[in-house]
Amino acid sequence: MTGRFRRILAAGVAVLGLGAAAPVLAADWTWSLPGHVPEPRVPADNPMSAAKVELGRRLFYDTRLSGNGTVACASCHIQAKAFTDGRALSPGSTGGLTHRNAQPLANSAWNATYTWANPALVSLERQMEVPLFGDDPVEMGVTDANRAEILGRLRADPAYPPMFRQSFPEEAEPLSMAAVIKAIAAFQRSIVSVDSRYDRYLQGKASLSEAETRGMTLFFGERAECHHCHGSFNFNDQVVHARSREVETPFHNTGLYNLDRAGAYPFPNRGLFEFTARPEDMGAFRAPSLRNVAVTAPYMHDGSIATLAAVINAYSDGGRAVRSGPQKGDGRLNPHKSGLISRIGLTPQEKRDLLAFLGALTDETLLTDPRWSDPWQALR
Amino acid sequence: MTVQRAAFAGLAILGLAACSTTTPAPDSMPVTVTFALTANGKPARCGEPLGPLGSGGTPATLHDARFYVEDVALIDAAGQAVPLALERNDWQTASVALLDFEDGTGGCAGGTRATNATVTGSVPAGRYAGLSFTVGVPPALNHSSTEKAAPPLDIAAMGWSWQAGRKFMKVEVDPNGGVAKSAGAKARTWYVHLGSNGCTGNPADGESVSCTNANRLPVTVAAFDPATQAVALDLSSLFDGSALGRDRGGAVGCMSGPTDPECGPVFRQLGLSLESGRPVTPGTSPAFVVVAKPVAKP
Repeated sequence: MTGRFRRILAAGVAVLGLGAAAPVLAADWTWSLPGHVPEPRVPADNPMSAAKVELGRRLFYDTRLSGNGTVACASCHIQAKAFTDGRALSPGSTGGLTHRNAQPLANSAWNATYTWANPALVSLERQMEVPLFGDDPVEMGVTDANRAEILGRLRADPAYPPMFRQSFPEEAEPLSMAAVIKAIAAFQRSIVSVDSRYDRYLQGKASLSEAETRGMTLFFGERAECHHCHGSFNFNDQVVHARSREVETPFHNTGLYNLDRAGAYPFPNRGLFEFTARPEDMGAFRAPSLRNVAVTAPYMHDGSIATLAAVINAYSDGGRAVRSGPQKGDGRLNPHKSGLISRIGLTPQEKRDLLAFLGALTDETLLTDPRWSDPWQALR
Repeated sequence: MTVQRAAFAGLAILGLAACSTTTPAPDSMPVTVTFALTANGKPARCGEPLGPLGSGGTPATLHDARFYVEDVALIDAAGQAVPLALERNDWQTASVALLDFEDGTGGCAGGTRATNATVTGSVPAGRYAGLSFTVGVPPALNHSSTEKAAPPLDIAAMGWSWQAGRKFMKVEVDPNGGVAKSAGAKARTWYVHLGSNGCTGNPADGESVSCTNANRLPVTVAAFDPATQAVALDLSSLFDGSALGRDRGGAVGCMSGPTDPECGPVFRQLGLSLESGRPVTPGTSPAFVVVAKPVAKP
């Protein structure tokens, strides 16, 4: 081997070395989406990369990210339950309960707004500040007092610093809370659910049963009218994607409460009203995606309906009457109820058919794919 | 050795050069505006009784007290507001400063140790008669993330994540005996959180936020001498008309909620319209009073 050749080889190795640590370009990320699903919008300052998604996955499942080290994002967002937790309300790291039901995370990349009713939160990055820093209620319990300590815990794990450097090579200090937020947001964007039997049916790869087909006809028809609020590819009505020009953000009162016969919902769950104080916004919430809805019980913003069959009953009745207790009132008569919610009077057969169709929206890949599973368990 | 000495000299010059960016130009003069937090005519501190407060004369202790100010200016003899060119440090950027009266001790446990009672900067040399400032954070900065912003906008406790913005003012007291809530439960702390609300993000770009109720509070002090006087946020005045021992609905205390029954008296004392989020009489805020400048701590 000549000296010159050795030098070239060494240079080649150096370049390869640099390549491994160099910015991971967005080009290394591809969305594998069926034709009926548009690519999501991704913030310009947080491009997707495989490295960042993997870092975000580790952080999502890491209890060290909470102030007292007891809860992770995954504590309330469990893969087998389509990233919900099976509870009406969820305990935070210091024991207090959230005000509202933990939301499924699949396809949250396409949300126009986040949480149950918050027009101010229009990116996953901003939404995440609520569970991280919120003090009413405390969820993750990150504060000015413990933020440095939490970052220190991550820095002390030999696995993390190289992953942060690889994910955020442009940052002088790649391991920061801002980077934690970006990485988890990237992981959340990667949680895509487009492989339900319904999706396969649309692609001609699977068929629906007779009951499911009847349920689908009801769902998209003008009698049940489910599609008005759950009609997008994501089965909701607030969608933003890479080529969106204008985005509507409707919120709806579905007649769940009527505390004072004037339409009141119980504080602090009065929906859009908490922001606008406009009477017509009382009880108005974002229609959630119905993908995987069969595995995300209990239901509604406060988890106050235990089963999907009972939810269908409430919509069939045009709302819900609470017969006793402090929340007594006939939600069906709520004056702010959406005009799209009226008594349908579905037959028992129709209810079963709708239930069957909603079951076809369950994506087994989402619930089991190792890409979104607990990486720490795999490492143990 | 010669080389070393030369290097040191170079460093010294660089050091001076760095300092000179905050040294007033010859035709300007340095100004320090001192703020204070008072209750019952005395300085209000963590871990010391505040004395009786509010309509019920409820004894209370301090839990938190911080607020941002923008548009700090001295008023000249002609009545013109002359903006203070703010020094840049961990308490202030070019356009906003944080006043912090909690030191993390006593009832303020969980807060930050450092405190700050001054806004420093410079104005063109001359004679000035008064002072004006606005409690708030400029819209262009308000909706930045605490995790990306420079100090003092990096304080998580001053973040208001649900409005994708900041608390302009965070004043919290623990009334003796707690706060009786309408549902029969008890809360420990009575909160005043002032910030822009009714905020809406633009989902098309995923970031820009605008708010229906600005809730920025301009304060004008027509006669003010920075050398001998301070501007106090007076808790006795702020809570005048508020019953701190109970809460009749909404957030405990007032978190700027337009329909929160506790916000009526608080906003009246701040001088803001709860309905519109605009000042009732611009410049006038009963909650702020002029006091003698406290003697500097040794």
